[in-house]
Amino acid sequence: MNMHATILRTPAEAALIEAFAERCSDLPGNESVVIRRDEAMEVLKQGLPTRRVESWHYTDMRRLLSSVPTYDAHGHAEVLAPVLDGSVVLPMLVGAASGAAPALEGVTFRPVRDKLADGSLAQALVPQGDDDAIGALNAAFVRDGWFVDIADGVMVERPIELQNVQGGGQAHVRLPVRVGNGVKATIVERQTGAGAGFVTSVANLVVGDDSDVLYVIVQEQPETATHLGQFNAWIGKNAKLTLFVMNAGGKLVRQEVRVVAKGEGSDFQLRGVNLLAGDTHTDLTMVLDHTVPHTGSRELVRNVVTGKARGVFQGRINVHQIAQKTDAKMACNTLLLSDDAEFSTKPELEIFADDVACGHGATVTEIDRNHLFYLMARGIDEKTARGLLVEAFVASVIEELEDETIVEALEARLHQWFAEHG
Amino acid sequence: MPAVQETIEQVRRIDVDQYKYGFETVIEVDKAPKGLSEDTIRLISAKKDEPEWMLEWRLQAYRRWLTLEEPTWARVEYPKIDFQDIHYYAAPKNHAGPKSLDEVDPELLRVYEKLGIPLKEQEILAGVKKPGHETEADGVLSDLANDNVYKSGRVAVDAVFDSVSVVTTFKDELAKAGVIFCSISEAIREHPELVRKYLGSVVPITDNFYATLNSAVFTDGSFVFVPKGVRCPMELSTYFRINEKDTGQFERTLIIAEEGSYVSYLEGCTAPQRDENQLHAAVVELIALDDAEIKYSTVQNWYPGDAQGKGGIYNFVTKRGDCRGDRSKISWTQVETGSAITWKYPSCILRGDDSRGEFYSIAVSNGYQQVDSGTKMIHLGKNTSSRIISKGIAAGFSQNTYRGQVSAHRKATNARNFTNCDSLLIGNNCGAHTVPYMEAKNATAQFEHEATTSKISEDQKFYVMQRGIPEEEAVALIVNGFVKDVIQELPMEFAVEAQKLIGISLEGSVG
Repeated sequence: MNMHATILRTPAEAALIEAFAERCSDLPGNESVVIRRDEAMEVLKQGLPTRRVESWHYTDMRRLLSSVPTYDAHGHAEVLAPVLDGSVVLPMLVGAASGAAPALEGVTFRPVRDKLADGSLAQALVPQGDDDAIGALNAAFVRDGWFVDIADGVMVERPIELQNVQGGGQAHVRLPVRVGNGVKATIVERQTGAGAGFVTSVANLVVGDDSDVLYVIVQEQPETATHLGQFNAWIGKNAKLTLFVMNAGGKLVRQEVRVVAKGEGSDFQLRGVNLLAGDTHTDLTMVLDHTVPHTGSRELVRNVVTGKARGVFQGRINVHQIAQKTDAKMACNTLLLSDDAEFSTKPELEIFADDVACGHGATVTEIDRNHLFYLMARGIDEKTARGLLVEAFVASVIEELEDETIVEALEARLHQWFAEHG
Repeated sequence: MPAVQETIEQVRRIDVDQYKYGFETVIEVDKAPKGLSEDTIRLISAKKDEPEWMLEWRLQAYRRWLTLEEPTWARVEYPKIDFQDIHYYAAPKNHAGPKSLDEVDPELLRVYEKLGIPLKEQEILAGVKKPGHETEADGVLSDLANDNVYKSGRVAVDAVFDSVSVVTTFKDELAKAGVIFCSISEAIREHPELVRKYLGSVVPITDNFYATLNSAVFTDGSFVFVPKGVRCPMELSTYFRINEKDTGQFERTLIIAEEGSYVSYLEGCTAPQRDENQLHAAVVELIALDDAEIKYSTVQNWYPGDAQGKGGIYNFVTKRGDCRGDRSKISWTQVETGSAITWKYPSCILRGDDSRGEFYSIAVSNGYQQVDSGTKMIHLGKNTSSRIISKGIAAGFSQNTYRGQVSAHRKATNARNFTNCDSLLIGNNCGAHTVPYMEAKNATAQFEHEATTSKISEDQKFYVMQRGIPEEEAVALIVNGFVKDVIQELPMEFAVEAQKLIGISLEGSVG
């Protein structure tokens, strides 16, 4: 991760190494898992990534991660009402899967600690490349999570909510989700809690052929927590994956999205909303690989930045040499609402196939004065007019999701955020 | 259209691996021994008859360079350069600073003629009066020049051959307007106060690996000073030529435009065809004071290597303009077709309030060329604006990367940027990459970026070919349309040249 192995360790790095020495014997896993954990720790001992590592250019972990809380086994967390009414909730409290596996037709649930104990998850613990700090951190410390397996041809009636509630200490979870062929499902990954927690969460989603999956990440950590999330997905033939990411909290947040379109005719849609306030740092980084011909993708990310918040969006679309007829479009729009707000964006294209249509657009701006004037000319005061415009700017991303109940539920959260920070 | 037909003819005559300027000239040269050390630098400085402060400056840069590591972040691959295996100085012999073209080695003049730059004719035609050579004919020509030639665009040329500037034309006439145009070595001797004040003020000796190396060993380059309120009466141009084997070319250009002045500067470059790679690491510094404008155009046509990717120039260049004054403007236009590797980011520091930076670029890569080029627009002053138009065309086995940065400082209220970078791919063994960085630290900043990558659509090609135009010419036409936005920004002479170059670089790419 860092080429200079001789540099002095930051307090956070030292705390991580110490935590591992203390904890490793208690963490679940057979021999092969232990080997993976040790390997991941060796990577971490090289130091956390700095701005010299290209994929971490705007999120210098050595500088930003000032401290890591000790592991607190007695932290307290409770199961919350789900984001979407009628969801099947799979709680993870202070990093451990809680309660018995619920019953849902065609779907199997298992706590991840079982899959660590029998070693079936060992292979998935190998970090992806030498800049995969989140993968390495999670591999070293992962304790639990939920494994979800949806059988072929199942139309999952109820949304599934993977609810990760931290209680101030460390929480490291993994969410392996296997979706069979011809499945339709909605999955919500919820990241929340209370206190200055240190959370890592890695979701690995395999979408089978002809399936249609909506995956929603709602990250609402308190403004004292560090949240490092990673979402990996592999999309099969003629399958569709819509990923919705909402970041509305956290002190230091990095959410990585790594998607591989590996089946012909697959479609990936990313809709992202970053609501940033306070003295916080939030990074949404996406890497999308089009590896076969005839695949499509659309990414739309909208950011509202206020207070002293700093936001980052990095998006890279790789079009492999054989991936002809790729149709990929990416857009990132940002509204800066205060003088101290900052936003950095790096939308990259890497293209090796010649018969493609790829594009990206990025804008950073303040509220359009003409729009403001239009509303104020109609007797709406400035504060309200601004609020309306900003909310509409973000809501248009949410409205692109087809399901009305989901749109309403997310808009309610959006509204709440604006009520608190607007 | 006759111009297009001409381009097509040109394209047909020259194949991709038959670089037009690949000839080598045998000229007696004075070379420094291979290798880089403080002694080499002392030797260069002594050869140039430089004052003590200049030598100190170079040595300081060299010591700094020793502590630096070669950058690896660019998307280019090449074997490690052995910096001890290069001659850092090579100058044609009997070069004692000619007063006029008559004293220049005729062999050298022939080289420039071959390159399409007839230094001598140009000057005579334009009627430059040389002391002691005044004839009636000259007088007539001079009148002619005033009537006609002026309008057809005269260009003053500084010709740099390996490590030295061999001649600068139109010097006297420029001096009448108060414009100083000479080689940088001459400027260090004749105008030390100006050089000392501005050299390294935009690209400091600590800037980056290649710029620091250049600061230590630069051998020549051009110096331009346009005084207050003067609109430079003609286009200025430098023509760089690498001729000697195993040499590196390290030129340094410094352009200063004082309050309210204007200058347009052109740069061209070629090198012989060789199997080994040669290094070219230049530094260009532009300084625009209040209300000044500098327009800098480049047609870069260094030897790109053969069809198998053997040989070619490594072009590692640091170009930066400083809009130091309020309402100043700097505009970069570049056509990049040559070099095995291009690593180049002409940038603007928008320091003055209401200043403006522009960057127009066409980068065409073919064969095994690797291009990693783009710009930086650093908004520091209030109400600054910038515009970036970049067109990349990749063919063959080449890799073409746009890498650019736009940033608005906390105090840069109302900063505006528009960026448009498009890539065109011809064939499926090449790659096009876009890596833009946008950093806004100010709520009043307004940045827009758009980029697209596509191939020439079958519909477009069909439309043109339907009208009886063969495929290859159709592609050239469409490509010329694609790059029109940039070509428009070039001075007229260069626009024609650039169009031809694009045709040549794309030869054989259809199919």
